[in-house]
Amino acid sequence: MKNSQLYKGSLNTIIMKLLEENGKMYGYEITQKVKAITQGELNITEGALYPALHKLEAEGLLDVEIEKVDNRMRKYYKLTESGQKETVNRLSELEDFIRNMQSLVSPSPKLEF
Amino acid sequence: MKLTAQQIDQLYLFTRQHYVEYYDLQTELVDHLANAIETEWEQNPKLTFDEVLNKEFSKFGVFGFMDVVESRQMALGKKYNRLVFQHFKTFFSVPKILFTLTMTFLLFKILKTSIYNDYIFIAICIIYFGFIFHEFYKNKKIKKVQKETNQKKWLFEEIINQYGSFSGALTFPFYIFTQVSSHAERYLSNDYWLFSVSLMVVLFGILNYILFKIIPSKAEVHLKQTYPEYKLENL
Repeated sequence: MKNSQLYKGSLNTIIMKLLEENGKMYGYEITQKVKAITQGELNITEGALYPALHKLEAEGLLDVEIEKVDNRMRKYYKLTESGQKETVNRLSELEDFIRNMQSLVSPSPKLEF
Repeated sequence: MKLTAQQIDQLYLFTRQHYVEYYDLQTELVDHLANAIETEWEQNPKLTFDEVLNKEFSKFGVFGFMDVVESRQMALGKKYNRLVFQHFKTFFSVPKILFTLTMTFLLFKILKTSIYNDYIFIAICIIYFGFIFHEFYKNKKIKKVQKETNQKKWLFEEIINQYGSFSGALTFPFYIFTQVSSHAERYLSNDYWLFSVSLMVVLFGILNYILFKIIPSKAEVHLKQTYPEYKLENL
C-alpha cells in the first residue's frame, strides 16, 4: 500500500465505508474499487486486505455470504447491524482526524488584528 | 476470458501447495486469484495461465499466503475464546449459578467431613486428567481418519477440536493439584483453602465440560454460522 504507515490505520474504516455504500462486496472487488476511486493512487495489498476483513468479521462487524459464481464460490462481506453503527463512529473519527491534520499541516491565516 | 473448472481445481491445488490447508481459506483465495487472473487476461491475453498466476501470487508478498492464514487463525481463535467465555458466564448467572454453588459447597463439605479427604482429592485429579487424555486421544484418532480419507479441513472446526489456546491451559491445574495433594494437611485442613480448592476444582470441571462437551456438540451450528459454504459442501 502506498505510504502504508499513513494509510494503515484507516484501512478498516475504508473497508467499512465501501461496504456501507455498496451493500455487499468480495475481497477482489474492494481492492479494485479503491484503486478506481483513487485513480490508482491507493493500492490495497492482498496481504493487508484479508487480515483486515477477517478481523472485522471476527469482531462481529461484518457478516459473510457465499454465492456460486461461474464455477467457483465467492465470499461476500457485508456490514452487520453493529457494523453499521460502528461505521458512523469511525467515519466521524476519521473526519475529525483529517480536519485536525489539515489545520496542523496548513494552518489557515489568523484574521485577528 | 473465464477460468475453466479445471483451472479452478488447479488454483485449489496451488493454495494447498502454498501451505493453505483449510478449505474455507482456499476458497476465498481461489476466487481472489481467479478474479485477478481474469482481469489480467483482459489486458494481456497472450500471457499463459501459469505466468499470470505467478504474477498475481507475487502481490501477496514474500511470505505468500502466510499472513492471510495467520490472521485468520488469530481471528477465529479469538472467536473461539469468546464462545468459551460466553458459556462460562452462564454458570454464574441464574439458574446455573445454583449448580455451581451447590457443587462447590458439596465438594467442600465432603472434603471437610471425610477423613479420607486426601484420597478423595487424588481420585478427583485422576478422573480430571484421565478425562482430558481420553478426549485428546479420541480427537487424535478422528484427525488421523480425516487425514487418511482426505476430508476437507475447516479452520474453525480444527480450533474446536484442538480447544484453541485452552489446550495448554488445561494442564495448568496439574501443578496446583500436585501442590495440594503433596501438602494435603496444609490445604485440606484450613477452611479457606478448602473452599478455594473446591471452587477451583468445580471451575476447571466446568471449563472441561464446555470445551469437551458443550461446544463440540454444537460444532455443526457454529460451523454453519461461521461458514455459509459449509452447508453447500456438506449436503
